[in-house]
Amino acid sequence: MSNNPPKSQLASAASSEVMIAIKQMNKWYGQFHVLKDINLTVHKGERIVICGPSGSGKSTMIRCINALEEHQEGEIIVDGILLGKNLKNLDHIRTEVGMVFQNFNLFPHMTILENLTLGPIWVRKMNRVDAIDTAMTYLERVKIPEQAKKYPGQLSGGEQQRVAIARSLCMNPKIMLFDEPTSALDPEMIKEVLDVMVELANTGMTMVVVTHEMGFAKTVADQVIFMDEGDIVEQNEPTVFFDNPQHERTKLFLSQIL
Amino acid sequence: MAMIKAEKTPERSAPISESSVIGWLHKHLFSSAFNTLLTFVMLYIIYLTVSGVFSWGVLDATFVADNRRECYDNSLTGACWAGVIHWTNNIFYGRYPREEIWRINFGGLLLVLWMAPLWMSRVKGKVLVATTTVVFYPFLASYLFSGGDKGFFMQIMVAGAMTAFALNMANLLAGLFRSQGLNSFLIKALGQENASDKTQRNILLLLAGIVFGVAFFWQMGQTLQPIVWTKWGGLFLTLVISGVGIASALPGGIILALGRRSKLVIVRVLSIGFIEVFRSVPLITVLFMATTMFPLFMPEGFVLNKLVQVIIAVVLFNACYMAETVRAGLQAIPKGQYEGAHTIGLGYWRTMRLVIMPQALKYMIPNIVGSFIGLLKDTTLVSIIGLFDILGMLRSISKDTPWLGLHKEPLIFGAILFFIMCASMSKYSRHLEVKLSAGRTH
Repeated sequence: MSNNPPKSQLASAASSEVMIAIKQMNKWYGQFHVLKDINLTVHKGERIVICGPSGSGKSTMIRCINALEEHQEGEIIVDGILLGKNLKNLDHIRTEVGMVFQNFNLFPHMTILENLTLGPIWVRKMNRVDAIDTAMTYLERVKIPEQAKKYPGQLSGGEQQRVAIARSLCMNPKIMLFDEPTSALDPEMIKEVLDVMVELANTGMTMVVVTHEMGFAKTVADQVIFMDEGDIVEQNEPTVFFDNPQHERTKLFLSQIL
Repeated sequence: MAMIKAEKTPERSAPISESSVIGWLHKHLFSSAFNTLLTFVMLYIIYLTVSGVFSWGVLDATFVADNRRECYDNSLTGACWAGVIHWTNNIFYGRYPREEIWRINFGGLLLVLWMAPLWMSRVKGKVLVATTTVVFYPFLASYLFSGGDKGFFMQIMVAGAMTAFALNMANLLAGLFRSQGLNSFLIKALGQENASDKTQRNILLLLAGIVFGVAFFWQMGQTLQPIVWTKWGGLFLTLVISGVGIASALPGGIILALGRRSKLVIVRVLSIGFIEVFRSVPLITVLFMATTMFPLFMPEGFVLNKLVQVIIAVVLFNACYMAETVRAGLQAIPKGQYEGAHTIGLGYWRTMRLVIMPQALKYMIPNIVGSFIGLLKDTTLVSIIGLFDILGMLRSISKDTPWLGLHKEPLIFGAILFFIMCASMSKYSRHLEVKLSAGRTH
């Protein structure tokens, strides 16, 4: 690690408005305590990177934010709406929160364009022409407009993940969650996806990213969080986090992956 | 040891054994002495069977005769097809009055024409065509087949069916000759391309309304001679029962399968109970229950005819089997697909309809068609509870005085008929599989 810490290359867009507030959240799978007393505040425009060993609960935590997983205790407030049993709230929050998965989860029976326009047409009630316009705009932003008529199975992994990002953006979300977006990709495709994510960060999107790409964390993150065994063990600015980790477990983890 | 290959290795054509007929023969039929022997033994067995069947069924057979005695006089070793030919009308239509048979043929023709657009890529609006088939055709067909006085509801449905059919055919022509939907063709023909969506929709509704009005007044003057269901029979009855069964089993099965996977405990338990009860009872038992016990549970004076009871039994029974097929298909869809759909805000029903079902149905096609084939064959069981479906008709030939004891030929004819129907269904299912998976590798 160099003595001259690399400065965050992106100016932070974080404002004081709170987008996600997690308070004393606990979650169990049966008897197994997966998430323990989680507290986290994400401001508008803030970019959070979460890392940690597998099984540490980082994926589970961000899946709780758009209610793909239920939590049993504590509260999660997303864009001012309390996540609870209310299904109406649930659907509303999911349209405000985009999510990108490790395995893309594109719909294989639809063309790329149909994948992108499905949400806008059926959920946002946009008319077809506008929906296609929006979809093409975002496909251009992820640099694959020429693939619009193809099916997901005909694209490379990196292209599929960029389509998945575009699909989320088509819903015009306020927050984007990334669950290990590059873990299922071949090495030469990781960069193209990370480039798209950096560009997205440039636009001031609020982002919560679970990843092991520490280069990305250094470049983009406002805050880096280290999780282990269901705890948020350490949270800090990337420069401090990488150059001067406080906790023993963080030090051990960083020494293993860097 | 280091090496560098400077040039690409050129491609060569495959060895002769991979491409020529002789290569193929050698590889698949004569690869060793033992295989050669097997090939010849098999060829001999095939020759014996085919020549035997051919001389019995064609060369020595009697096609024209007035009774079984004449068949024997003509040839002792050949088939007596004359009996089957004599009974053709009964085999196909049962005891339906001869002069009214056109109604059955017309009903069948209507269905074929009605659904034809579904197989033509140039015709637009397939979903609407399919929906009108399910909603309107059954009413038109049931009136065609049974006739009698129409109640007010029936009048509306019959007129609606005629409207839907007329528009469907017009849409078919617009698709074939102009490659566009009827709606855009009409709007253009009337010079209303620039009118607002609302005006255009109103114009189309008005046109449909006019067609409906004409159909309604025309049908008021038409009454078909009533024909009681007991006269229905033969292949016609078999197709009515299995047709209704096939059309209702899939939707019923989808609902039951979704119920079985539901998070709501009561819905789930009820679905499981329903499915397991029907699946663990033989169809014949369900048929007997439906015709003898079902009326006991009904309020006094409530009479359902036996045909309706049988159809209900067949539908319920097959919906339960279909439910398990659908469930298997649903389980093949990864959890990520549900999550992907949820993250773009699709609710449960839209997720199912737009994302899950279209994929799952593709996996299910072989099993669904398998169930349909089973259903078609199973409906012959209704001959046991006294309905004269095709099997009942075929078996009564041997009890007809001139053809007394003629068992073999009618049953073989029936087998050929069923083979043709079932084989074309399975052939079509294979075609569908190929078509649906074209260009989609995953």
